[in-house]
Amino acid sequence: MDNTDNRNAHHKSNYAIKNNLHLLLLLIPGLAVLVLFTFYPIIKMAVMSFFDWKIGYSQTSRFVGLKNYVDVFTDPIARTALVNTLYYALITVPMQIALGLLTALLIYGIKKFSLTFRLLYYLPVITSWVVVALLFRYIFSNQGLLNYIITEVLHISDKPVGWLSTRWPALTATTILGIWKGIGWNMVVFLAALHAVPVELFEAASIDGANSVQKFFYITLPNIKGTILFALVMLFIGAFNTFTPINVITGGNPAHQTEVVLTWMYFQTFGTVGKMGYSAALSVIISLIVSVIAVILFRVIKPESRGGKL
Amino acid sequence: MRLFSRFLAALLLLSLLFSMTGCGGQSSLPSATDKPPTETAETNDEGNASSKKPIEIEFWHNYDAGAGQIDVLEQLIAEFERENPDIKVNHLYLEWSALRSNVFAGASTGELPDVLRGDIGFVPQFQSLDILFEMSSLPDYNDVASKIMEAPNSTAKMGDKFYGIAANTNTKILFYNKKMFADAGLSIPKTLDEMWDCAEKLSNSKTIGFVEAWTGVWNIGQYIWSYGGDVMAPDNSTATGYINGPVSVAVVQKLADLYKKKALSGPTLDPGALGDTDGWAAGVYAMEIDGPWRHTLAQAANIDIGAVQMPPGPAGSIGVLGGEDFMMFKTSDEQHREAAWKFIKFMVDKKAQVAMAKVGQMPVNKEAMSDPEALEALPLLPIFEEALKTARSRPVTPKWSDIENIIATKVAEAITGQKDVQKALDEAAAEIDNLLASD
Repeated sequence: MDNTDNRNAHHKSNYAIKNNLHLLLLLIPGLAVLVLFTFYPIIKMAVMSFFDWKIGYSQTSRFVGLKNYVDVFTDPIARTALVNTLYYALITVPMQIALGLLTALLIYGIKKFSLTFRLLYYLPVITSWVVVALLFRYIFSNQGLLNYIITEVLHISDKPVGWLSTRWPALTATTILGIWKGIGWNMVVFLAALHAVPVELFEAASIDGANSVQKFFYITLPNIKGTILFALVMLFIGAFNTFTPINVITGGNPAHQTEVVLTWMYFQTFGTVGKMGYSAALSVIISLIVSVIAVILFRVIKPESRGGKL
Repeated sequence: MRLFSRFLAALLLLSLLFSMTGCGGQSSLPSATDKPPTETAETNDEGNASSKKPIEIEFWHNYDAGAGQIDVLEQLIAEFERENPDIKVNHLYLEWSALRSNVFAGASTGELPDVLRGDIGFVPQFQSLDILFEMSSLPDYNDVASKIMEAPNSTAKMGDKFYGIAANTNTKILFYNKKMFADAGLSIPKTLDEMWDCAEKLSNSKTIGFVEAWTGVWNIGQYIWSYGGDVMAPDNSTATGYINGPVSVAVVQKLADLYKKKALSGPTLDPGALGDTDGWAAGVYAMEIDGPWRHTLAQAANIDIGAVQMPPGPAGSIGVLGGEDFMMFKTSDEQHREAAWKFIKFMVDKKAQVAMAKVGQMPVNKEAMSDPEALEALPLLPIFEEALKTARSRPVTPKWSDIENIIATKVAEAITGQKDVQKALDEAAAEIDNLLASD
């Protein structure tokens, strides 16, 4: 009896090894790409953040310990950029989710023209960031469409309003762009989630006499919790990666007051003589912040839903 | 599954080791000796080949295709190749920032051109990467440089060595919208103080008297110098007492006052403002101190534009030098360097300089400057020639790019009223001195 068990176990482990080897062989090409273009650059960047990294082929990079991190933490513009990024994230993420979910619910509820509305709301997502950022710039600039309406059509004021002239109004204009462009993506994600909620639950609730609001809060929301978490994490990462709207609309001006972390990182790397170490340290810090936010979101939302964990 | 985890761990470790080796000795990167395999070496391998392959040199530049400069360049290259059948010039156009970033990328790999024609501001930036070839070490450099105007060539000088040679030059003069001056009944300002007065008088809810595209020394240096101040000590050792000195503070205060009165604007001060080219075309801006391109651009937009030398301050009319220099890199071998130098000499000679003048490039060659054909092509040349006599180069020092960024930021903070002028400029001086003190 024991012998048979041992033999079986031996066969099983042989089979497992063979199976794993097969898996490995199939995974190698994908893994190689992942290692070369994702893991390696991440690790290299982390290493660079401890060096006064020189890009000249004949120059030697000097180990400077935590100096780059100290430079980032004591740099007032880096702080401004981080605060601006958080402002952008805290406005665009909830607004995109709220409006995306609302649009999804409205489209979910209609029978006709559902595809047309889906297409219309998704259009901003597939348009070029540069093109729409330029359009927003023309709308909000001193001689732009909005000021034309204010001064020439409605005659509310004879002087144009400097929507983009100072820090907070300019950042707010970019958040409007971010929200407008993101609604479509959220709508598609939430529509898919809504379709996955079992209809029987709504039918049962109707029999129990639940109204639409109760159905939304007690059935829809708990069932799409996982999707909300997914959208939150993706959108926070996206918000920390925002670059084009700021670069096109304000260029970080005036005096770097409207920089976000990525535009500031880009300026430090390519706008000057290449502060690679500083930028690498800033990247590491931002990655850590985004990771912490993601962990907090997972803890708070606890994505157990139907079918187990997300 | 354990095997799989081990494999993943091994891969991660490998990539870590891989990245660690990247920061140690950089011996794996190409050096001057192993780039590129010369054609002569190839022909030697083939024995005495009857048709010797020409030496190919790579030339990166940002000549303006729209102005017809690339067509002229191609004609000049063809002529050069006829005169020098053993040399072939491969030219590559790169837009300003692409030119710069490609050199930055090439700086880490050693893949750099043999000749580059780029902004004078690139000289200190590239030299800080230790990639430029010291051109004054060439035996006949001084002979060639003697035919070139001294001021433009000073932009390639760092310490007592030259890391380039002037290719073409420019400085800035006062451009004004003739119609707006006539409508306001104003005469052309004779001094800088009068120019500021005009800026105020020409501003209303629809127009802005003066535009500045940026707040670096390229823009404010000319005022500080013309009022008798400076941005840094003559030996570039400190900025304290210069950028935060009484003259600089007064100049920036004047600009801040104009900005407050909406008589001065520009996209780096106010992201909602029109860029200078759009603003000129829209008839919003009345005056700008700018280079020769402003004339061409305004004419293209059908704006009746006038030009005079920048009005003088108490110390005279001291403009800022612009333009481009030719540069060579350490990565080229002896043969390519020789061929590259031959090509540069051809390009700074009178004939090529006049040809380029006809398509808008202000010559640096002394003879070309007074050539009738060049004068005919560039009607503003006499005004610029006069301005060039007193124009100054921005400090040519390895950390200049960072220094100018500090000044641009602090001056913008002061002009837009985010900070008191003296406080902002004191901070600028302290930051610059800190930067100079760090290695």
